[in-house]
Amino acid sequence: MKADYILKTQNLSKFFDGLKALNGVNIGVEKNKLTLVIGPNGSGKTTLINTISGFYKADEGKVIFEGKDITNLPPHEISRLGVVRTFQIPQPLKKLTVLENLLVAPENYGENVFESFGKNWLKKEEEYVEKAFRILEFLGIDHLWDREAYKLSGGQLKLLEVGRALMKDAKLVITDEPIAGVNPVLSHDILSRFTELKMRGVSFLIVEHRLDIILQYVDYIYVMAAGEVIAQGREEEILSNRKVVEVYLGAEGGKS
Amino acid sequence: MEQIIITIALWFGLYTIVTLSLNLEYGFAGIPNFGRALAVLMGAVAVGGIVNRILIFAFGLSGDIIVASGQARTLANELIASNPVYGIGLFILCLAIAAILGAITGALFILPSAKLSEDYLAITLLAISEVAFMVCNYNTAIIGGYYGVSIPDVLAFVPGEKRMVVFTVITVLIALFVYLFIERLTHSPYGRLLKAMRENEDIVEAYGKNVMMLRIKTASIGAAIASLSGALYSLYSVNVIATSFSRVEWTFYPFLMILLGGVGNNRGVVVGTLTFVTAKILLTMYKHEITDFLHLPFEAVWLEYMMFGVLMYLILLYRPEGLLREKPIFTEPIKKVIGRKVKAAE
Repeated sequence: MKADYILKTQNLSKFFDGLKALNGVNIGVEKNKLTLVIGPNGSGKTTLINTISGFYKADEGKVIFEGKDITNLPPHEISRLGVVRTFQIPQPLKKLTVLENLLVAPENYGENVFESFGKNWLKKEEEYVEKAFRILEFLGIDHLWDREAYKLSGGQLKLLEVGRALMKDAKLVITDEPIAGVNPVLSHDILSRFTELKMRGVSFLIVEHRLDIILQYVDYIYVMAAGEVIAQGREEEILSNRKVVEVYLGAEGGKS
Repeated sequence: MEQIIITIALWFGLYTIVTLSLNLEYGFAGIPNFGRALAVLMGAVAVGGIVNRILIFAFGLSGDIIVASGQARTLANELIASNPVYGIGLFILCLAIAAILGAITGALFILPSAKLSEDYLAITLLAISEVAFMVCNYNTAIIGGYYGVSIPDVLAFVPGEKRMVVFTVITVLIALFVYLFIERLTHSPYGRLLKAMRENEDIVEAYGKNVMMLRIKTASIGAAIASLSGALYSLYSVNVIATSFSRVEWTFYPFLMILLGGVGNNRGVVVGTLTFVTAKILLTMYKHEITDFLHLPFEAVWLEYMMFGVLMYLILLYRPEGLLREKPIFTEPIKKVIGRKVKAAE
């Protein structure tokens, strides 16, 4: 069976003053699958996400989303195609409440200057508010709905970041360390939620360090080192790959 | 005493329009528009430069704008005195042209700089505003430069002693309308999105919103509103002289007013404007008394800049959120859902 890819990168490269942060990276995210990218610090994982989502301009290569070349499109246009991303360091809208942080995510007519005087957006907004509360309840932070984001703890901010991504009905969710700093129980809850969404047609590209928790949810793994993909495959193939153990676990393993 | 109250009310009205527009841009959208004076000047250009030329053409006058505008004023005032409809029509025309010119310049001048980060944007806008000010001041062909131009009195049908009161009432009413307009505009997903953009552009961009367009639109609306104030001021003083539109009076003071009142809170901005305007006018009116009382070797007005500088320092140090704190936006649907939840919990 030939795999059906929602996102592919072809020979994607990004240089910073001669440093090859990404060097000819070829990855593919299969439809309705959860694809994981791992690798030691500085291996180019976050650069890869930033280049795919349009925050960095690619120097070489292509990003193909649903068969369409989206290389170097501005971030908001990529987002409108159905790609949502989260950030490694939570990026809360600090002075906005938790609820407002979520409500900013979806498309809303009321965000248009002229529409904002009309009534068309009211019904949709009500649905979004309901949806936001359902997500907040699921994440267990619904009691914080009217608190400004800057008052939240680090773990809560992480959940807020995930919650905002869930608000948007995306085809592809790219998350940078979604469960770092989140307790194991809730981490499993979040990842089961991702699995649930997967069934409903959402694809995932995830960068994560905490392999102990995430591996059981993963369909396919890419291992990066020094800006290149050094191995790829299913869980058991990766874990038995000597190169991976040397580069990744060798560098990180000593710590944990 | 009555005179003082009317003067305060007039300047409160004029400044409220400016501060509310600046609050939309800076308080909500996070655009540090240090070129606010430019939009106000454009209101004066609309009245003194564009409407004046229409009148000069309509009356079949010729000659340079400085002289011809004086003749146009005489003719227009006679017409308006005979039939108020002309005055009201001219008044509306002036405001409409001011708003359109403001909207265009607001959008145009933020275009090259909209991609800059906050501090560079502020400096660029300040510079653009200064350049426009210099051009209008030294090029006598636009609005008469340092000679100024005459403006018809749109209230020529009102008896002289009542004129200021009537004009003040109109100005305050327009300021009230602007307040209601901006309150309505910002109590919506649009207002929320502006705040989100102020907090973090990357997030807003990552969720599919065009930050550049949002900035341009907002700057355009803000400038259109601020231009109304410039037009009103010109119509009030029946004269336009470019030097009246300095960056201190129309950019720095408005910034001080919104810092004092509360950045991002429209009601706070109104309170801040009223407080500031009252203090400033009282200082000017009682300058001799204050000078004598404090035994100053110079006039108390000279302390103005220094006092307002100290005020700004104190606000930023002790109450950076201003008199009234910024509040979350509760749109109607949010209130509805919360109401349901509260009921369900009971």
